[in-house]
Amino acid sequence: MIRFATLVLAAAIAAAGAFPARAAVDVFACEPEWAALATDIGGDRVEAFAATTVMQDPHHIRARPSLIARIRRADLLFCSGAGLEIGWLPVLLQRGAPAGVQPGRPGHLMAAEHVALLDKPAVLDRAQGDLHPEGNPHLHLDPRNLVTLAGVVAERLALLDPEGKAYYAARAEAFRATWNRAIAEWQTRARVFRDMPVIVQHKAWSYLVAWLELKEVAALEPKPGLPPTASHLESLLRLTRAQNVAAIFRAPYDSPQASEWLSSRAKIPALTLPYTVGADTRDGQGARTLHEVFERTVTLLETAAKRKAQP
Amino acid sequence: MRVQILRAAAIAAVPTFVAAFPATAQNTNDITAIRQELTQMRQMYEKRIEALESQLKALESAQAKKAPAATPSASGGRSVRDNSFNPSIGLILNGKLSTFSADSSEFAGFAVGEEGERGRKGLGIDESELNFSANVDDKFAAGLTAAIVREGGEDKVELEEAFVQTLPGAGLPDGTRIKAGRALWTFGYLNELHAHADDFADRPLPYRAFLNNHFNDDGLEFAWVLPTDFYTEIGGGGFRGDDYPFGGASDGIGAWSAYARVGGDIAANQSWRVGAYMLSGTTDGRATNEDAVNFVGDSRLYAADVRYVWAPTGNNRDSEVILQGEYFLRKEKGTYEDTDAGTGAVAFNDDASGWYLQGVYKFAPKWRVGLRYSRLDAADVPAGLAGSVLDSAGHDPEAFAVMADWSNSEFSRLRLQYNYEELGADNPDHQFLLQYIMSIGAHGAHPF
Repeated sequence: MIRFATLVLAAAIAAAGAFPARAAVDVFACEPEWAALATDIGGDRVEAFAATTVMQDPHHIRARPSLIARIRRADLLFCSGAGLEIGWLPVLLQRGAPAGVQPGRPGHLMAAEHVALLDKPAVLDRAQGDLHPEGNPHLHLDPRNLVTLAGVVAERLALLDPEGKAYYAARAEAFRATWNRAIAEWQTRARVFRDMPVIVQHKAWSYLVAWLELKEVAALEPKPGLPPTASHLESLLRLTRAQNVAAIFRAPYDSPQASEWLSSRAKIPALTLPYTVGADTRDGQGARTLHEVFERTVTLLETAAKRKAQP
Repeated sequence: MRVQILRAAAIAAVPTFVAAFPATAQNTNDITAIRQELTQMRQMYEKRIEALESQLKALESAQAKKAPAATPSASGGRSVRDNSFNPSIGLILNGKLSTFSADSSEFAGFAVGEEGERGRKGLGIDESELNFSANVDDKFAAGLTAAIVREGGEDKVELEEAFVQTLPGAGLPDGTRIKAGRALWTFGYLNELHAHADDFADRPLPYRAFLNNHFNDDGLEFAWVLPTDFYTEIGGGGFRGDDYPFGGASDGIGAWSAYARVGGDIAANQSWRVGAYMLSGTTDGRATNEDAVNFVGDSRLYAADVRYVWAPTGNNRDSEVILQGEYFLRKEKGTYEDTDAGTGAVAFNDDASGWYLQGVYKFAPKWRVGLRYSRLDAADVPAGLAGSVLDSAGHDPEAFAVMADWSNSEFSRLRLQYNYEELGADNPDHQFLLQYIMSIGAHGAHPF
């Protein structure tokens, strides 16, 4: 037993010594959008790791051993917050995470604490589904939130790596300038599909819907977090006829079954919007950058609007 | 508010305007003209209101965005209310309907504790669990789990866990933690889990025979997650030596443990963990089988566990496969006495072992099915124990289990399980278990 322990120790020390030269700040991002934003602001000075991919529902992740090992060397933990990671992040924080990324420390960054949240439930009752008392956590889908967060990330990175302060500030400024232009352009293009009625799979699209002033008429999930049921889909089919719904939104990680069923019956397109950065292994699409997430989304919505205009 | 006033003003203005026309304008042309003008005015006002509304909206959202920025909070907590320092409270309710075909169920060749025995027949509630947990301050966290159980015809409160543990900011080196008190200690895969988190309605045979379902002695444990790319955790602890498989400890530290675990991912859709454990101690008196059997001596348990999880693209929302197995080896040296068989204290020095293997398949967001096989291999008994509980008479206990469960949400689960158990020779037992597990209040995150 003791010999075994010694062996494990020796292997550990060897592995620790074998680390290559590291970037100044190691970022553990719970979701790909935050890894992308941290890289956009931190450039070469950060090394960002995303704990989940665009093909994984961030509500349902296991606190896998690999994640415990990975968070062990993080300098900055960057997540959505608002309870999105409540099923797995607490285990990582307790088991492997260093003191520097614990709540209250500069290395603990929850995006939800820096922007105004939508869908805050008035009544907390699990009969209403899997509610987030803090509000809707899918906040990255309003690009104006990303602009706000770019500044926050730059500040945090500067706290953790003071030498890079000017570098982060400059990159955040450049990010803001580029994004403000891009946002204005997307908003202009979005006028075509303003107030367009849509159905969403999950309340994951609230920020996008609010930003582009779409009209969310229903969700495929009967209650947040509960999988779609046959009877609920039947009722939605009647609704699509009454409301002239233009499209159904789903994320790459959503099972296409329910949206395809409704799409084929109601003759409205089911759109897999990029949701976040990463390759969609189902259709080979996906966005490589945060900018592409919105560019593709707006383009897909334009197509849906055009299709609706010429029946 | 401002918009409402404007709107009211516009509505009020229209009839005034109409009334201002001379009463003589009665021919159809005039009426059409007035109608047209009215429509135009209405459109004009509506446009203006709309413009003001959107302006207001923009201002409001700008303000809302500024508000949280003005009070930056770096805490991970939820919004602060009066009772926000109350610990998180959770309740697990658990009930079962059990039918057994055999009248009795005795493990051939094993002395088994009360909780390791077959459950109660018929309708009944299982453990009702009450959990409290919270951070104490910046350095410590604490938790308590009380289980209300039915034992010997009475409802009793069993203190399952009452522990304090260091937080990563406590000043210990990164990756280390110390837990003290009473807890479900690190040993094998299932021991750390509360029974409600199990994939089957009952524990596999090795847990029932070697651990009396779980080991939660009073003690202290440390753990260290090594700074490697690969997940590696080592740890160990010292315990009072009062809880099964030990007992009767009167002083000092009666038992100790050590473990090592590694784990990782294979591509995006598979992950695994493997561990090796040891638990060793001295037993001043371990009474089992309703106090008929007593063991005094040294008991040492070795265990190995493996867990493998596969989910398409790593997304376990819709489907997942979990394979899990554990192996136990127990070495005991001391004396056994079976008072029912009148053996007297007989010297004993031998090994017993057991293992189980299970697979669980989630095939729809709410549905899972599972299969489990578990078995035990009893020790060879000395001549003095022939005919006692410890004499397996050549039979090795084994059990098959098949289950299907439905989880409406992560807080509720209904399960139907069928067991075929042959714990004693020629005593097959067909069991049907129908179970519900419901969780209200706070519910902690589960480990891998």
